[in-house]
Amino acid sequence: MPRVSVPTTARLPSSLRVPASNSAALKILSRLSRSSLLSVALDWLDDNNLPLTQPYLREDEYEDDDDADADDFYPPARSPHDLRELYISLQARKGSRREVLDRITEGDWRHGLTLYQLAMADLQYLHDHPTSQKWSAYRIQPLQPPQDPDNPSPPKPDPSSLTIPRFHPSTFLRTLQTQILPDIKAHYNFDAHRSLPLLILRIFVLDSPYNTAAAAGGGGGGNLTNFDSARTVYIAFPHASPHLFISKPTTTTTASSASSGGGEAKSLRNLLVEGIPKALSRPLRRERFALQGTGLVTRNLAEMVERRGAGRTNAAGGGWGWYADEKGVRARETPLDLVLPSPPLSVDEEGQLVECGIIDGERMPGWMTGEEGVTIGAVRNGRIRGHKGSGL
Amino acid sequence: MASNLDDEIEELQAKVSSLKKQLRIQTSALITAPSTRQLLTQTAQTATLTLPRKDGAVSDATPQQKQALLSQSALQQAHNQQCLYRACATLTTFRARDPDPHAVDGGAILGLRIEVVSRAKFLRPYYVLLNRPYPGGSRHLRVHRHTVPPCIPLAGLAGRYLPPPPKAGQGVGGGDEDGGGGGGQGKRQDLARFARALRREVVRYHHRLGVVADLRKAAALGREKDVEAEAEADEDEDDEEEASRLERQQNRLVDITPADAEAKQLTIEWADGRTGRLVMGDDGEIVKLVVLGENGRDREAGRDLLGGAVRVEDVVKRLVALA
Repeated sequence: MPRVSVPTTARLPSSLRVPASNSAALKILSRLSRSSLLSVALDWLDDNNLPLTQPYLREDEYEDDDDADADDFYPPARSPHDLRELYISLQARKGSRREVLDRITEGDWRHGLTLYQLAMADLQYLHDHPTSQKWSAYRIQPLQPPQDPDNPSPPKPDPSSLTIPRFHPSTFLRTLQTQILPDIKAHYNFDAHRSLPLLILRIFVLDSPYNTAAAAGGGGGGNLTNFDSARTVYIAFPHASPHLFISKPTTTTTASSASSGGGEAKSLRNLLVEGIPKALSRPLRRERFALQGTGLVTRNLAEMVERRGAGRTNAAGGGWGWYADEKGVRARETPLDLVLPSPPLSVDEEGQLVECGIIDGERMPGWMTGEEGVTIGAVRNGRIRGHKGSGL
Repeated sequence: MASNLDDEIEELQAKVSSLKKQLRIQTSALITAPSTRQLLTQTAQTATLTLPRKDGAVSDATPQQKQALLSQSALQQAHNQQCLYRACATLTTFRARDPDPHAVDGGAILGLRIEVVSRAKFLRPYYVLLNRPYPGGSRHLRVHRHTVPPCIPLAGLAGRYLPPPPKAGQGVGGGDEDGGGGGGQGKRQDLARFARALRREVVRYHHRLGVVADLRKAAALGREKDVEAEAEADEDEDDEEEASRLERQQNRLVDITPADAEAKQLTIEWADGRTGRLVMGDDGEIVKLVVLGENGRDREAGRDLLGGAVRVEDVVKRLVALA
């Protein structure tokens, strides 16, 4: 196989292997607990994933001498099935995390881990530590179609547009890579969130214009600089909601210095904030969108979905929750029920603080009860105005 | 033994709560009955009204008791009327108060209540709460809070029918009340048209969801067991029938799901791997259907599914007839 690196604008394939000794790969894996490592390994060995996650197996099927493996601490298994049994038995046993980690990187995947495997491991970490990412919510806002094609003015938001943005994962990804971020080498992986109605896109950015195995940290470890600037960004698409959540880009390597962290992460995020709406837009159908910050920044994804999701609670938070309540006492407020409703309770339900008398619920300003759904804003005369006109 | 007793207690408690519910329903019916009202109003002058006491005996009602009953009856009557309007007009307004102590306009809120019927049941209504935040005693309304799902273009409708008042000095200093520098500024507001348009969008959306559910039902989705059982039962047939059964099996629809937030696009999947995308208009008319098979676009499958139908409901009828 000729070792030639060719510049390309395509996205990195999921099957691209990274040496198991790569510091970024090691970091991604070593963040996981023993049980998570085992369940990720078992996921890799699932028949659906095997084409992209092939473990290191014995090649000589019929030659039945074990001499070759005598000095091998982790003798390669004969089939994925055998490996699966082995990892299941490890699950039942007690032991250290290190044991499993070494087994993966020096034994069963000694020939390297694919980007797909790293993505799965990273997503497992996200599920294990739901607050590990800091998310910002953005609204997808329709823009006015350009009036004069010869004299393009900066597009303005269209307040009377009735267009609801539609999101098609594969089209979105293709446009994002080919049109918007051709000079960024990245691996993209979509996954549904396990408990929340979200589709999570993991973007693993590798700043090299050469997307071959050699560029991905091969060459005997001499070329590891590529991975030092690698960053991971998540974009979460809530189902049936014209919003999206972008996480703060995080570096994968331990070697990153603080100086290179801030500015670069910011510019990457700006690049995404500018690029995503273009990837969502359909110029041929005269549907153009922009992303508008909503002033909501939180580590709590469930809260994000509550405030900016598909349900009724987006614009009825805090004391207004009663109107959106679909499960509580008054959930079945049907006009066919003629029984006189009991007098409504006090609307302020800030819970214990109010009950203990620490806060006077009657005098609590609405923005403190989360009505506006913003975490950044300015308060004037007791009313909040979201940062840069965000909020409701 | 113990579990027996527990069961019995549980049963009795269920009975108690059901009886209490019955009692509440009967009370609400009785208290507004013409005869009851007649008794309550007339007895003030002439006859006496007897009420049961806690110990089982009866005694004459005191004037306070009568007054309480009368006001209760009036409340119930008002509630009945509200329910009648809600059920028949499906679009009603109400007044509310903003719980925020710093709320604009003294916390006065005008509420719109939109009823939605789905599968023969009233859903939880959608609410839109409006206030008057604009300075200078302006009577212009603005959407303050709402529970309308994001797939309804509420902001766009508000931009069309409830534009903000013209700003003093027309744009000098860049008004930032709503961030909307749109075209509709300074026009008259039309709350009635806004409410009607919004209700229309909400009802259309629920109808589209309903027709997707009907399609799924007609295609017998979610009942794979029946199909399998049928397949097993059919096993001893001759070749010709076997072939036609196989064809039926391959032409079977395995999934129909909405593909976008507004439920205007549907993904359709066949048992043999073909997939299709059906685009419907606002009111359920079929705009386009594309079916992709192994060798690119499969126009025949598209024609087979539609059979000249122009509305999605026609496809439902077709599927029911074929089954």
